[in-house]
Amino acid sequence: MNQHEFDDLLRNTLREEVDEMRPTLIGLEERVTTELGERQPRLRVSDWLRQLLAPTRGGRIGQFSVVAATAAVCLLIGFAVATQSGLTGGAPGIRLTPSRSADGNQEVLFVLPALDATDVSIVGNFNAWEPTALSDDDDDGIWMASIPLPPGRYEYAFVIDGRWWGQDPLADEYVQSYGEYSSVRYVGGGDGA
Amino acid sequence: MTHPRQIKELAAIFVLLACLGGSALAQIPLSEFEQALADIPVSDISGHLGALELGLGQPGFPDSEMLQLIEKLAGAPDPTPEKEALLSGVFIALEEGLPVDGLVTKALEGLARGIGVEQIRASLQQRLTLLTETRDLLYAAGIFSVAPGSPQSVPTAIPTPRFNVLVTHISDTIADYLEGGGSPFEGQTLYQEVRFRLISLEGATLVAEDVDLVLRRVEPADLTRVALSAVT
Repeated sequence: MNQHEFDDLLRNTLREEVDEMRPTLIGLEERVTTELGERQPRLRVSDWLRQLLAPTRGGRIGQFSVVAATAAVCLLIGFAVATQSGLTGGAPGIRLTPSRSADGNQEVLFVLPALDATDVSIVGNFNAWEPTALSDDDDDGIWMASIPLPPGRYEYAFVIDGRWWGQDPLADEYVQSYGEYSSVRYVGGGDGA
Repeated sequence: MTHPRQIKELAAIFVLLACLGGSALAQIPLSEFEQALADIPVSDISGHLGALELGLGQPGFPDSEMLQLIEKLAGAPDPTPEKEALLSGVFIALEEGLPVDGLVTKALEGLARGIGVEQIRASLQQRLTLLTETRDLLYAAGIFSVAPGSPQSVPTAIPTPRFNVLVTHISDTIADYLEGGGSPFEGQTLYQEVRFRLISLEGATLVAEDVDLVLRRVEPADLTRVALSAVT
């Protein structure tokens, strides 16, 4: 068998093979597409956002719209929360940021959750380490006092049922004093910090 | 006939005098300190009263806290010589023209915490050393204090009240750093502590240009030297 004869034999054999398989190949493309579609993973939120923010034929206007709408919703929610808690000053409530009075003092709020306490006070270098009582008017275990302070640095500790506790989570820093912790709060001047 | 402008000026002078009179009246008289010291009772009452008189003449002297301290000491169960030794630290600072508000409040804190007078005295002694060394450091760095209203002889002269606040905050920072277990040899860390506190108080109790002056002229090694003076 020469080379030419071998090529013919190979071609005919392959053709016969294909002819035999032809019925199974009909509609193969559609079947594969359908099966892949069924196996496609569920779209996650991150994928959904990525698709949403992907560049489109219409340019990036669509993306900006989505970002702007999200920001607007966040602002609305934030404003609603702030109004509810009185942070805007428009409604009565807890004021977390110091407010400045006419004499330059700032009302500084000290807050301490002490659920089982019966008596909570604060001592510090602003009251010569003499206790100033915190109040819990609604008996929810959150004790608070608003103290007018001139700008400066203040060391303090809470006294919970007679025990000193100098690690206020809202403190700016802590110092060790006589082997115990004291909390520190900075009350700002011109920058209102 | 009196001109309206003259009336305004007279009114302004009257208000100023009323304020000055009011502040003078608000100050606690020396006789009250004398009574409180007699309750301890201290041995060198005339010497202590002399120091207190100097203090009462200084701007920003914490007179009510000082009286509180003497009264609390009188009620403390500790031996009289220890109480007098504690007060002597404050009086020495007064005689040297150093700001004593930090010392007084630290002593009051110790008493409120139920710390023994001797331990409070030791803490105050360390802080007194730091106050002195800090003031000397600023002098050596060319930063001076001048009485308010006096002509400024050098551009780096700061009015005394501002200078004293600087001295207080720098020495307090070093004292807190040492009390918190910090090593005096870590000058860079100490410098950062001082820098943080001074910058945090800019616009509150410190003037930005004073802070800038200190941070430019004082180096970490200087602070190590000051800290070492308090622990050796």
